[in-house]
Amino acid sequence: MVFVPVLLIFIPIVCGVFIYLIKHPWIYYLSLLGQLVVTVLAIFYYQEFSGQYSETFIVFGLWDERIGISLRNDALSMSFVFLSIFMWWMVLLYTMYAKEREYNFLFFLLFLEGVFLGLMQSNDLFNMFVFLELITLLVTILIAFIKTGESFRAALYYLLLNTSGVLAFLLGIILLYNTFGSINLEVIKSQMHLVYDEQVLIKFAFVLMLGGISVKTALFPVFTWLPRAHGVAHSGISALLSGLIVKGGLYMFLRITSIFEGADFAYHNFFFLIGFLTAFIGVIFALSQKDIKQILAYHTVSQVGIMMMGLSHVDEKVAFGGLLHIFHHAFFKSLLFLAAGIIVAQYGTKKVAKLRGVFKTMPILSMFMIVGMLSITGAPFFNGFISKSVIKYGIEGDIRYWLLYLVNIGTATSFLKMSQIFFGDRQLDIAKQHVIHYIPLLVLSLVCIMFGLFYIPISDGFFGIDLSYVSLFKVSGFINYGITLGAGFLLYFLIVKKDPIFIKKLRAFNLSFDKANYLFVVFLVLMTMYFVI
Amino acid sequence: MVILVIKNGLLIALLLVLLGAFYFSVQDLELMYNTFAKNYYLENGFYQTYARNLVTGIYLDYRLFDSIFEAGILLIAVSGILWISKQDIEKHNVHFMLDKFKTPDLFVMFARIVYPLMLVFGFYVIVNGHISPGGGFQGGAIVATAILILYYIDPNKETDPTFIVSIEKIVFLLIIGFATISIVTKGTMFTNPFTVDNIEVQSIYLLLMNILIGVKVALGLWTIFTAFLKEGR
Amino acid sequence: MMNPILTFLVVLIGLYGLSTSKNIIKSVFCVTITEAGVILLFLNLGNFEGGSVPIFLEGLAEIVDPLPQALMITTIVIGSTVTALALMLCIKIFHHFGTVEWEEVLRDRGDL
Repeated sequence: MVFVPVLLIFIPIVCGVFIYLIKHPWIYYLSLLGQLVVTVLAIFYYQEFSGQYSETFIVFGLWDERIGISLRNDALSMSFVFLSIFMWWMVLLYTMYAKEREYNFLFFLLFLEGVFLGLMQSNDLFNMFVFLELITLLVTILIAFIKTGESFRAALYYLLLNTSGVLAFLLGIILLYNTFGSINLEVIKSQMHLVYDEQVLIKFAFVLMLGGISVKTALFPVFTWLPRAHGVAHSGISALLSGLIVKGGLYMFLRITSIFEGADFAYHNFFFLIGFLTAFIGVIFALSQKDIKQILAYHTVSQVGIMMMGLSHVDEKVAFGGLLHIFHHAFFKSLLFLAAGIIVAQYGTKKVAKLRGVFKTMPILSMFMIVGMLSITGAPFFNGFISKSVIKYGIEGDIRYWLLYLVNIGTATSFLKMSQIFFGDRQLDIAKQHVIHYIPLLVLSLVCIMFGLFYIPISDGFFGIDLSYVSLFKVSGFINYGITLGAGFLLYFLIVKKDPIFIKKLRAFNLSFDKANYLFVVFLVLMTMYFVI
Repeated sequence: MVILVIKNGLLIALLLVLLGAFYFSVQDLELMYNTFAKNYYLENGFYQTYARNLVTGIYLDYRLFDSIFEAGILLIAVSGILWISKQDIEKHNVHFMLDKFKTPDLFVMFARIVYPLMLVFGFYVIVNGHISPGGGFQGGAIVATAILILYYIDPNKETDPTFIVSIEKIVFLLIIGFATISIVTKGTMFTNPFTVDNIEVQSIYLLLMNILIGVKVALGLWTIFTAFLKEGR
Repeated sequence: MMNPILTFLVVLIGLYGLSTSKNIIKSVFCVTITEAGVILLFLNLGNFEGGSVPIFLEGLAEIVDPLPQALMITTIVIGSTVTALALMLCIKIFHHFGTVEWEEVLRDRGDL
């Protein structure tokens, strides 16, 4: 039972290689079987070891822990492991019986699952670097899988920008290794406060590592790879990327800042500002787009900004709000992407202006999509409300509260614009669909509603944090939501509908790769000057 | 033009800031340099892993987990390149001219001498990885380069990449298999399975893993090059 | 003392090239240069005068640190595979767009 973490990593990988090797129609079901085994193992492992997280430490080869590679699990990593397994179930069910599903696709998808589960559990810095590079390569191949022109350029942009980010991360690892003599996370963490004495070396290593991680997390100013990549990929892959892989970057952010706890850097205000800029700019760009998947991709950027605003707080409760938003966003964003994928496949076009009459043509799908939209705008009874309220409670009475309010209004405006696709008459006869494609949508909608209603027992049971101060039936929650929607309506009718010049300019805005790298260098230097000098 | 100079000048200034930060870091490093890992490897490396070459001991015993994923990254890159390079049905914007290219005879004659020498040298580096500098990865790259010389001799030679990739997948599964055998003998994973205190027996494991990794790397690099050549036809 | 600084200069030259190259192939090679710089930097920091090769012989006093060398084997393999994948994507982009300039390739085409 102690070896379950290793099995969680290798069962998907070995299943994937077998599927790639034996190309027989029935081997498809091996993927589902492997996924089932992984789920059962994870549940048993959690039940046995929850609460005793010192027992979950494995060193490979039983070498000295400063020399060997080790895996470690705690509440944070186990919650991410469960989230990943759940998301992979959704994507596997969604792509079943689809025309594009092939042996290669399953191979890459299952390998990505194994590697991502490994990243969540790893306790060794260089191991994390190898996993990050593996994730970069796999996501590049998955983006370019549909082999259209746009997917190739999006994949190359993603690959080169992320590689330079991960190289900055490696530079940080080099500096840390030469100081501490080991690359084990726990060892560095425990020795940090003994060694640190205002040296430039540790500060520079901190800057480099966080600069590399922010490329993966798509923070301002290095987020420009995300809209392209998530907008042109196959819908199942977009859902997985937006819902999960971006959160891998946030997980790394939490781990790296926990290493440097002994050094006590004042990074909270800086990253709150970066989070706000990301959220704000993401929403403004989302308002200007006309392509449904690009709108959703820009919203991912802005929601990641909100998560960073929550996670960078000193107060634990607000940080927990950011963590909760990670999970909720995974649920409703993947729901929206999967539903949008079905709509795009049926209508044959991606432009919001041409999609009309979805409610009359596909009523069940529209219900699911409306659930997703209500969740992302923060309606009460849905999960977006809970996480945004937790973040709001921590920053009440400050200018930061109004900044978050502004971003919420922008989100509401954009989704009001998108909800136009529901009106209109029935436009076309739909092609035959598999019921199994709707199962992930149903499950995700139910999870959204469940997390919106039963948040107190869930967060108490899994994390041990009490959320009873967020009341579901307080009138101010409803009033706030009403005001947000109203302001969104006004903004939409007054400005966005007329499509003024500056929105047109925003739509045509394209950051070329060399300028994106320039911004990366600028970002690194800004952080250097803020932290080091 | 002026804007260009200003932009480039600003970029150079930013990069010089980074250089300055690094300069101060290195000065701190000279005071704080920690040699724990190096001394550990010097004292215990040979006695725990039975590999004279300490680098081989590290990547085949202390950090075998990383090497498995390194082999995996090669497999992924090869599969990805093969998938992307399959001729798709969409329109091509550019048409290539097949260039009639014939290798000079002098080159062919020298390649005939160099090819077997390089092959033998590559195998030597793989097999002696645990005693002298070398190892699976390095030797595999040399063997792949030797095979690629054949392409210069005969540009029209066609090989089927998918079959080679199938062999590579089987080798990858074998690597994972041999790495996890140690769970039966020592109760932990990803280390040398033999517990006998005899250097000959322990070297069997190192030799086997080096050969497997070398074969995998050679096949992988060969397939990548074949895929690129086919793309240009 | 000078060695690490010169190697970091190589990394910075690679970053400069990445930030100013208008051609896709140039960008790919600048990534290779940056990667080579990082690898050299790690090896340089572990090296010192008078250290010998990390092959164990009885009675050996001082060796060069073997861990960076093992880690850099992995990094070199990763770097070469990233370059190979990027170049294959370049070829495919050339097939579809007919050009290898970043500005041209990333421009929004109306028929998407």
